[in-house]
Amino acid sequence: MNELNEIIHQPVRLRIMAALTVLKPNEEVDFGYLRRMLDVTDGNLGAHLRKLEEAGYIAVRKVFVERKPRTSVAATDAGRAVFKAHVEALEAILKKGFEHA
Amino acid sequence: MEISPNEAEESLAAISSMKKRMRNAVANGGAYYFLIIWGVIWFLGFLGSYFLAEKSAGYVWMVLDILGGLGSWGLGLWLSRRVRNASVSATSGRIGLFWLALFAYCALTVWIAWPVDGRQLAMFFVIFAMLGWIAMGFLLSYSLVRLALFVTALAFGSYYLLPNYFYLCMAFLGGGTMIGSGLYIRFKWRQS
Repeated sequence: MNELNEIIHQPVRLRIMAALTVLKPNEEVDFGYLRRMLDVTDGNLGAHLRKLEEAGYIAVRKVFVERKPRTSVAATDAGRAVFKAHVEALEAILKKGFEHA
Repeated sequence: MEISPNEAEESLAAISSMKKRMRNAVANGGAYYFLIIWGVIWFLGFLGSYFLAEKSAGYVWMVLDILGGLGSWGLGLWLSRRVRNASVSATSGRIGLFWLALFAYCALTVWIAWPVDGRQLAMFFVIFAMLGWIAMGFLLSYSLVRLALFVTALAFGSYYLLPNYFYLCMAFLGGGTMIGSGLYIRFKWRQS
């Protein structure tokens, strides 16, 4: 049975991974757009993204367009696999709960 | 790490909701912005056609179409930055070329049919614009196809049944439907 992942389980990070894993492997989302979708502050999102990036679950790409920084975010293959395992673990807990009830 | 089945259920619900929201956002690609922009242009343009002399209304339409074209181009660039994908960027460019080709063919059709009166000219543009929306609907979302068919039926209905109020119908019902649909899609997207 899959284990729950403590890094991903935090509510904001869970939603970040849910949003990023919907995208195709060659797609990435703009930082500002992701922030608006999650309804969090710049600082809050930045801190959670750093945590996920350190774990290797997401890739953050910074480029300068017309001298303005633009940040985009994508889930890595490892992140997708870990998130899938986390969801399976949640489903197993829920199923077990139903069986006991 | 251990959690209760209730917590697991809440987490799965949060995941499902976020996935649905992201899928909707990627799928509609911000189409509602274009609906609102062109709905406002139709509203103002057809009001101009109803209240102003034909020549003045023509200038109003020209200015509105230029503003709409520039606005759509800028909006397309802005939207393409939100979710980046090489194949999507190529598709966006082709969509822009499709609309240019469609309006070039519309202009050719009007040229062949000339002379036409103001209402006939408006119908040509409505028919070609709605054909474009249908094509976009097949590509992006079938709800756009339904909207385009509704506005086309509305245009034909008012053209033949209410000729004196054709422009007014197109302003309030045609433009209003586009604005309303754009706001509805946006509201639905925010709610999901």
